[in-house]
Amino acid sequence: MDDETREMLHQALAEIFADEPSDLWGSLQTTGVDKALVPETKGGIGVNWAIACELLEIAGNNAAAVPLAETMIGHWLIDLAGAQETDQPTIAFASADAPVHLSRSGDVWRVEGTLRRVPWGSTSTHVVFMSDSPSPQLVVVDRLAPGVSVTSGRNLAGDPRDDIRLEGVIPAEVVPAPFEPRSLLVIAAIARSALMAGALERTLTLSVEYANMRVQFGRPIGKFQAIQQNVSVLATQAAAARAATEAGSEAIDEWLVSDDESLFHSVAALSAKIRTGEAAGAGAAIAHQVFGAIGFTEELNLQLFTKQLWSWRDEFGNEAFWADELGRQILGEELETTLWRTLAPLGAGITVGESK
Amino acid sequence: MNALTFPSPRLSETGERLRAEVREFLDGFEWPVDRDAATAFGGYDPQFSEALGARGWIGMGFPMEYGGGGYGLVERYVVLEELLAARAPITAHSVADRQSGFLLLRYGSERQRQEILPLIAAGKAYFCIGMSEPDSGSDLASVRTRANRVDGGWLVNGTKIWTTNAHRSHYMILFCRTAPAGETRHEGLSQFLVDMNTPGIVCRPITDIAGGKHFNEVHFQDVFLPDDAIIGTEGDGWNQVTSELAFERSGPERFLSHLRALEEFVRILKQYPSAEGTRVIGRMVSHLVTLRRMSRSVASMIADGKDPALHAALVKDLGTCFEQEIPDVLRLALQTEPDPGAADAYQAMLAHVILNSPSATIRGGTKEVLRSIVARGLGLR
Repeated sequence: MDDETREMLHQALAEIFADEPSDLWGSLQTTGVDKALVPETKGGIGVNWAIACELLEIAGNNAAAVPLAETMIGHWLIDLAGAQETDQPTIAFASADAPVHLSRSGDVWRVEGTLRRVPWGSTSTHVVFMSDSPSPQLVVVDRLAPGVSVTSGRNLAGDPRDDIRLEGVIPAEVVPAPFEPRSLLVIAAIARSALMAGALERTLTLSVEYANMRVQFGRPIGKFQAIQQNVSVLATQAAAARAATEAGSEAIDEWLVSDDESLFHSVAALSAKIRTGEAAGAGAAIAHQVFGAIGFTEELNLQLFTKQLWSWRDEFGNEAFWADELGRQILGEELETTLWRTLAPLGAGITVGESK
Repeated sequence: MNALTFPSPRLSETGERLRAEVREFLDGFEWPVDRDAATAFGGYDPQFSEALGARGWIGMGFPMEYGGGGYGLVERYVVLEELLAARAPITAHSVADRQSGFLLLRYGSERQRQEILPLIAAGKAYFCIGMSEPDSGSDLASVRTRANRVDGGWLVNGTKIWTTNAHRSHYMILFCRTAPAGETRHEGLSQFLVDMNTPGIVCRPITDIAGGKHFNEVHFQDVFLPDDAIIGTEGDGWNQVTSELAFERSGPERFLSHLRALEEFVRILKQYPSAEGTRVIGRMVSHLVTLRRMSRSVASMIADGKDPALHAALVKDLGTCFEQEIPDVLRLALQTEPDPGAADAYQAMLAHVILNSPSATIRGGTKEVLRSIVARGLGLR
């Protein structure tokens, strides 16, 4: 993908958000951005993960209440696994406290269990998830299939996060997983990081605008050093969030062409949501402090961004979850291998293997 | 390019080859001091500096004609981070390698470049930086040290302070007044290349709270500097000195100086795992790798001829706050009492890190000054 096409994509997305269409999701779908990760030969745009995350940053920068991240991943997975294309897939994960059982008798697969907090579960046509047993499979379930029931839930921003109960459901499709199943959670986390990086950047822009406009004690509050110092910290957090996200998205691209089985082995990939989630909390707090009481009202846009930040940081694993995972990876290295040599392995990023 | 855009750091095959070479060199080097001793931090060792110079790993970015390696800044960065991560004793030459050499390369006279740069690259010329004064810390433009025109040169009077390694450097880059402030206070300031053996210079060492004897008060009494000691343009010192700061602020020394403590923490946890320690290390590593990426990105921007002064300020603020957090998270996760003289490496390391941590957010620009720079860059005030 050349820089020009990439710029055009950025532009197209930015224009849609600027227009504030009544059917935002429909408008976005007409650009094909929901299939951005699907190869051009299959009707997609064929972007890599680095660019996909830039598009998600733009969506986050507009606090877009649309299932862009999950649909992007859903379409990509279905294509990668060679399953039948669906209209609007979302992704889900079975958790340790709510396992999902996949079984087979003859040619018929059946699935049983509950998928918790599925983003946009109630508005999607299909739910896509990975199953580890009996062998790594990608499972596609039609939301309207017999045995599927949905219990609605919402995140802080009001977006659907629904529990989907599966009782003896016959999946629309079960195909061999295109990669090590757990790696999907890392990818979902990085996609959330991208949304957060974009939203944080907007809280910064809004805070700077407001601080330059709001007058107290006879001058704009942005002239006070206390405010300047805090807004500067917000900027460093936003910059770190973006850098961590970019490192994560590049790690997905590198992993897809590497020999490494699991994305859990990538320090950059596991770091993205730890760093971004922390920045989200710290940054949102500063933005609200800058705005004072008016920022605590529904009238102001600031809350659209901070509510998403407070939601996204806990979805697909929060900072603690990923810090535990990353810590385990680091401590799992041999005793003689120093931390530095774990983090800066020889020849990093230079060798390139076959695509997964 | 806005303040939040940190382009992907450039990867260099040459750099990665150098990484392997530096590791091999470090693994084989006969260390003159106990590498595990906490005091090995920031080690000063001319013998080591000369050995590095002989390998071509100092002044790597200088052109070949001045004794440099003709490498890019990205390759230099790889070598530097490897040296820092290994706690190699590089403080003798580090200021010259990091900023003074580049200053001379950019603004120095041909004579200065030909005479000094090959010595820096050989690990034989060490520099200190005369910026702060007793009454001029963050407010650098208020310096009062004065160089007055005399026949054939300048006569310098005044006092510099917090000058790291002044007592064992060959040269100082002196920042002082050569004319009264004009319309702005930034006028009438100049930089000089000062031979530290010049009569009239007296260094008084100052001991820091960690017991380190690195910095000094440096008195100039009727110190004569020849005409050709001036660096660049008389009166343009402010612009020249600010151009140095991106080098000074964004480097890996801003977040790797306490890596040793994290290393030791990881080594202990590998043998005695704990849930809290695992989470702490995961979090700290996520910060560290993000900082490293941002810092490498700034190096790539400088290499591309951009001026990332704002990005550098931002990286230094983040990096030094991260460093300051290390002792706190470590002491709570692995409870032990800090003791600078302890035989136990972790106890000694913890003591060292606690005592040194206040300096991180002061030296090279306080975090308050850096945040003001970032705020201005964002369009506040």
